[in-house]
Amino acid sequence: MDVQSFLVAFWIGVAGLSLLLYVVLDGFDLGVGILSLVACDEDRRGLMMASLSSVWDANETWLVLLGGVLFGAFPPVYAALMQGLYIPVTVMLFALIMRGVAFEFSHASGRKWLWNLTFGLGSLGAASSQGMILGALIQGWPTLAGNYVGSGWHWFTPFSLLTALGVVLGYALMGTGWLILKSTGEMQDRAYRRGFLLLLGTLATGVLVLALTPLHNAHIASRWTGSAALPYALAGGVAIFAALLTMWAYLKRYEYWPFFGTLLLFVASFIGLVASLYPYAIIPALTWSAGAASSGTQLFMLVGILPLIPIMLFYNGYQYLVFSGKVDGAAYGDDEAEAASGASR
Amino acid sequence: MSATLVTDLSRAQFALTALFHILWPVLTIGLSFFLVVIEALWLKTGDVDYYRHARFWAKLFVLNFSVGVVTGLPLEFEFGTNWAGFSRFAGDFFGAALGFEGAMAFMLEAGFLGIMLLGWKRVPRAVHFFATLMVAVGASLSALWIVMANSWMQTPAGGSVVNGRFVVTDFWAAMFNPDMVWGVSHMWVAALETSCFVVGGVSAWYVLKNRNPAFFMKSFKMALLAAVLIAPLQIYLGDGSGKSVFNYQPAKGAAIEGHWHTNPVGRGASWAVAAWPDAEKGANDWAIEIPNVLSLLATSTWDGQVKGLLDITPQDRPPALPLLFYSFRLMVAIGLYFFALMAVSLWHAWRGGWQEAAWQSRPWLLKGWLWAVPLGYVAVEMGWIVREVGRQPWLIYGVLRTSEGASQLPASSVVFSMAGYTLIYIVLAIAFFIFARRWLRKGPELTLEPPLRAVAWRDRRI
Repeated sequence: MDVQSFLVAFWIGVAGLSLLLYVVLDGFDLGVGILSLVACDEDRRGLMMASLSSVWDANETWLVLLGGVLFGAFPPVYAALMQGLYIPVTVMLFALIMRGVAFEFSHASGRKWLWNLTFGLGSLGAASSQGMILGALIQGWPTLAGNYVGSGWHWFTPFSLLTALGVVLGYALMGTGWLILKSTGEMQDRAYRRGFLLLLGTLATGVLVLALTPLHNAHIASRWTGSAALPYALAGGVAIFAALLTMWAYLKRYEYWPFFGTLLLFVASFIGLVASLYPYAIIPALTWSAGAASSGTQLFMLVGILPLIPIMLFYNGYQYLVFSGKVDGAAYGDDEAEAASGASR
Repeated sequence: MSATLVTDLSRAQFALTALFHILWPVLTIGLSFFLVVIEALWLKTGDVDYYRHARFWAKLFVLNFSVGVVTGLPLEFEFGTNWAGFSRFAGDFFGAALGFEGAMAFMLEAGFLGIMLLGWKRVPRAVHFFATLMVAVGASLSALWIVMANSWMQTPAGGSVVNGRFVVTDFWAAMFNPDMVWGVSHMWVAALETSCFVVGGVSAWYVLKNRNPAFFMKSFKMALLAAVLIAPLQIYLGDGSGKSVFNYQPAKGAAIEGHWHTNPVGRGASWAVAAWPDAEKGANDWAIEIPNVLSLLATSTWDGQVKGLLDITPQDRPPALPLLFYSFRLMVAIGLYFFALMAVSLWHAWRGGWQEAAWQSRPWLLKGWLWAVPLGYVAVEMGWIVREVGRQPWLIYGVLRTSEGASQLPASSVVFSMAGYTLIYIVLAIAFFIFARRWLRKGPELTLEPPLRAVAWRDRRI
């Protein structure tokens, strides 16, 4: 492997890791937001949001890192993706903006319900646009010298609606896993019951997406049926195992495995999907190596960013550790949060 | 669809989102350092008032921070959505800088924010202090990378254009491009200065209203002492940045000053205090001028030559000359106001001491501080208008024109996003002001006691 292909492979790895961390971390975060829409009262909604208060910002930051890595290591890919996905990316940003401020504003506001509702709707909006983007990526779009040519609506198809549904259900499923970890009593009980239904829904949608994908993408079809299909079968096998594990965990009401089983399901599906799309960043015309920055830039970024990755993972992990344990308003966070949750009670 | 229309829409949208976004990091950067200092003072002196100050200002910090984070997101993605040509052309350096910002700075800030805001009882004091410090370092590093990337757009360096892409051959030269040290320091100190007068102004309001005046004299004193360093430093940095503009971006310099004719050798260029530059006519409609001062400002000599707009080809001249001219003057006036306010207040402190009664007897002085609260923001906005509008018609000065960098998009898409941003930002601004006002009215909680001992995470029951 020459230096150039090594660098491209390395940066695909970093971009993939950022995306994966974003999807699972902001995934449960957005999922809790989606679930908050069906919470029965403001108290419970406040508790759900309190379980995210120390992590939502860091979770969202993986998206910033992903943007930076793509822009730096693959400028033409970044440009083509963003320009081609103008509307869903913009809608996602609108949703993330409203959701982020709603989170903090709801502490300060007298009208908590309004900001809590904004938080929920923003979470739903961000998850659905991400699902739409996923659908668009699987289908690909026509480009001319990297520029999308068309009316701007290629991403809006029945298939992308289906992937959007899958992402919304999947995020909500991770959300119930998170709530099981962070809550007790009746709230936890409800999360178990909702989570099981969400798991069935996610799996059904996932299987449907899987079945339709080869029809929408000839490249993936040839990958899955070709001679080198073993890795995909392996990813599929892990996903099936994770699905069964999660189902078992929900039925047995284990505390940790609903969340971590779902996590494994996401990781396996993610790796399977990304590997299926490779070497294309945008099917059918743009490959990662054609869309890479110069080797000089990729090397410069490698030297600067590689040592930071373990440090980032360490302090993000530390923050999770510091705020581990159940959230029950009074014992969680500090007196600030106590005052806030006390006032809402 | 006309390409210029889409480019103009994208420009308008970027201007809107950037001018709105920059309002928030300014306070994040300065206030995070203020929080480091008061937490250090608390740890050193054991004075609980400092702890209460930390808790009080942290509430403003988090409101401000959340708006700053989420309004920064669109900027990162707009380079791709609206400026795909630019991203492809300049990604080698510009994208790398953004990548470094995300990995080095933004993540640091976000990774320690939770501990800083909610971790008082959960981590030992030293760890908490470290978290506060990391949030401050992260915020400033973020500014470093972003303004560095922007400086490179002003004075590109470190590589050349190969096959329609800027290929970097010397990263050091690209990072430390000619504008970088001036640009970064001027912006960073602007953030400190704005925050300094926000803290000072808010504290002055409480002293003026006689609400916990002794408590707020502490923060007022800190703000004033910081201003003693910051206000003159910023004037020096502003002057240096200006000279750098005349050196590297003569068209921008001439446009800012409404300077049309290159002065002949041996005759100093005069400086227009006020004027109305008219691009069509190629002259000022009217002007009030002081001889030789422009030469002095631009070159530090009485008769140094300053290139006039007429010696620059019309298609390379910046647009909106009166906007540039007056934005610049407003920014300078605010910088001088800050200096004067600092000087008068310092004199007063020298004569009358730091007792609140001595200050309450000079309500006009405290009101001067109150008025200073919004002025830093105004100056920052004016500064960015001068910097970015003055860079036009180039996206990367002298290398890539704005029209070449814009994405080819349906105009309807950009109208949609522009409308959405406008609406959302109006809501954010109104909501923030309501909550900030409520925070101000409520005041500090003077009964808060610091946590005695942090409970280690492994001792807690899970």
